[in-house]
Formats: sequence, structure tokens, C-alpha cells
Amino acid sequence: MKFECGDLERALRTSELMPEAREHLKECPACRREYRLWNEISSAAKELHEEWDSPALWPNIRKQIEAEPKERAPWWQGWKLWAIAAAAIIAAVLIGRPWQWVVKTGTQPSIPTALVSTNQHFLTEEALGEVERNEQAYRQSIEKLSRLAAPKIQNTNSPLTACYREKLLMLDAAISDTRSNLEHNRFNIRLQTDLADLYREKQQTLKELLTGGQKN
Amino acid sequence: MVWEIGLPLHFAASLPDNPTDAELIKSCRQGNLRAYERLYELHAPRMKSLAFHMLGSHADAEDTVQEAFLKVYRALRGFEGNSSLSTWIYRILINCCHDTMRKRQRLAEKPVEKDLRSDSSLPLKIALERALALLNERQRIVFLMFEVEGLKHSEIAGILEVPEGTSRSWLFEAKRELKRLLMERSV
Repeated sequence: MKFECGDLERALRTSELMPEAREHLKECPACRREYRLWNEISSAAKELHEEWDSPALWPNIRKQIEAEPKERAPWWQGWKLWAIAAAAIIAAVLIGRPWQWVVKTGTQPSIPTALVSTNQHFLTEEALGEVERNEQAYRQSIEKLSRLAAPKIQNTNSPLTACYREKLLMLDAAISDTRSNLEHNRFNIRLQTDLADLYREKQQTLKELLTGGQKN
Repeated sequence: MVWEIGLPLHFAASLPDNPTDAELIKSCRQGNLRAYERLYELHAPRMKSLAFHMLGSHADAEDTVQEAFLKVYRALRGFEGNSSLSTWIYRILINCCHDTMRKRQRLAEKPVEKDLRSDSSLPLKIALERALALLNERQRIVFLMFEVEGLKHSEIAGILEVPEGTSRSWLFEAKRELKRLLMERSV
């Protein structure tokens, strides 16, 4: 097929010109001019990149970022207070009366009395196994609820959903922190209790989210 | 979707010399301002240039880049890593530029005449800048990102949330239109 001037545009669509196009360019000054301009557009474009000093820009951004948390993180601050209060209550319960864990249901993490070692701060191997099995049950339940709640979380922009979303993110961060602490200290009762509380809170939050804010 | 969550801030000193995206995201999420500064150093020059060509003024470009970085800060907790960090940041910037343009339209402001640099004496460069202003929005954005700022088609496709082939096709249309405009001028 003979290459015509009208074929040049089609040829320019590919990154490298076909041999017929190259041959045609040798003979046709008009197409050669068009082709040269095509390439010059790309080279001239590189010179359009604009650089200038903006000494105040980063300081302004930083100033605004520093001003943000006070206005935008009340829940996080509340979360810290809540965590301290929860830790204080747990400590009071642990210190105030003998260790009693009652096995309720398969989905509640529980530590049977008989399985706790004589040292009140640490679990026995057997108790740890049971706690971890219950934790697994919690995680499965949470995963299931998360899947159900995902469309609502992603597609709804109501203020209530935004609050739930923030709370879930904070819970995830706290769960991740507690789990990473537990990696070094799996037998610690306090950490296991904190983790169980966090899972329970997340499960409850997801249930509330799915039932439209109704507490279960 | 932007999740607005404030993060506790601190000036943690430790940040690797060449942090990966994952390290930067982690440090930013921990409220490390040095990590945000690093993000700024990495991306601000290109973001400023792109915003300048979209908005036509240095002042508007700086304001828009500032707004984009604040949005990045507010939304980083919700960043899921479905695209690369830079793709995500540029997507936020483009949205901020559109917001600025919409604001201008609401206030019925005239588009700002581009303040051409004093050294832009090359005829083709000037003609190209003027011709660029005549392109439609999508052609101009793709041309600016690919030819001026050197982004790849895969990155542009991610930023504009279109297939890579579409990005290539819009670039071709842009260059074809620019060629036509520049040839008309020289005839």
C-alpha cells in the first residue's frame, strides 16, 4: 500500500514511524514540516515546566497542619481519656477482687479460673490457648460484620457514618498496637484483657453501624 | 472520598534518607511532620508547575498546592494504597484545581492571564503556551502531565481514573490539535 500525506496522522499515533512513512517523509516537504513540528511540540513542552521559589509555602502548610488536630481530633483525644479510664477500671477490678473469669459463650474471650497460673499477672499455656481460640472467633465475627458494613462505610457520607468510620479506624490502630505489644508478652493478662475489650468494642460498633446507630 | 481525621503531631527525627511510600505513609500517619515535609519536597515543585499551567497564576497555584497538602494530611489515615502515593496526591491536586476554577466561575472572575516568564522569548514556546489555553480540559491536563511534567501514561491513567489507552489517546488528540493551531499560526 502506498503511503499518502493523509496517512501521516495515523502514523503519528504509534511511537515509532513505520518504514513507509519514513520513505514518504524523505520525498514530501509538507509532511516533513508537520513531522518536525510534531516533535518540536514535545521538546518545547519540556521548557514549559515552571519553577519558582516559594519560601513561605511550606511554613504556611505546616502552620495549618499544626492548627488542625485541635479542631479535628476530639474523638482521638476522647479515645485517649476513654482508654485511660478503661485501664483504671480494669486495674481496679483486677486488684480489688480475686481473679474470676466466667466462660459465657463461644464468642466471648474468657480465661477459666483454673487455667490461670499462681502468678496472677500471667496466663498458663492452656489458658492462653483458649484465649487465642476465642480471639480467633472474635476476629471471624468482626471480619464478617466488616464485610457487611463495607458498602455502608464506603458509600455513605452522613456525619454519623463518618463518626463510626473514625471510631473504627481508631479501634484498628489500638488493636494493632495492643497486638504488637502482645507479640512480646503473650501471657500478659492485662494486655489480653485490653485486646478483648477492643475486639468487643469493634464488634459492637460494627453492629451499631449495621443497625443504623441502634445500640444492641 | 476524603476522611477528615486529625493526627497527633510530633517532630520525630528519624526518617530514612530515601523513604519508600510505605515508610512515608507510616511516618505521616504517626504525625511525623518531617515526613510531611519530605512529601512536600518530593512533589511540590511538579505540583506547583502543574497547578500554574491549569490556573494561570503563581499565587493561585501556591494556594491550591497548599490546599492539596492539607487535604492529603486530613485524608491520609483513610488512604488504602489502591494507587501509589504520588498518583493519589496528584489526584487530590487536580480536584483542588477544579475547585479553584469552579470558585472563579461562581465569582464570575475572568480567567487569569498567564504571567509569562521574562525569559520565555522562544517563539514556539510562547505560541505553544497560547495554543495550550485553547485545548479542551482533558487534552490540556494530559498534555501538561505527560509532556511538561514528565509523568507516565500509567500514572496519568491512575490520577484521572481512566484506562491507560485513553490517556494515550487524549495526548494524541492534544498534540494533533496543537499542531493544527501552530501550523495555522505559521501559515
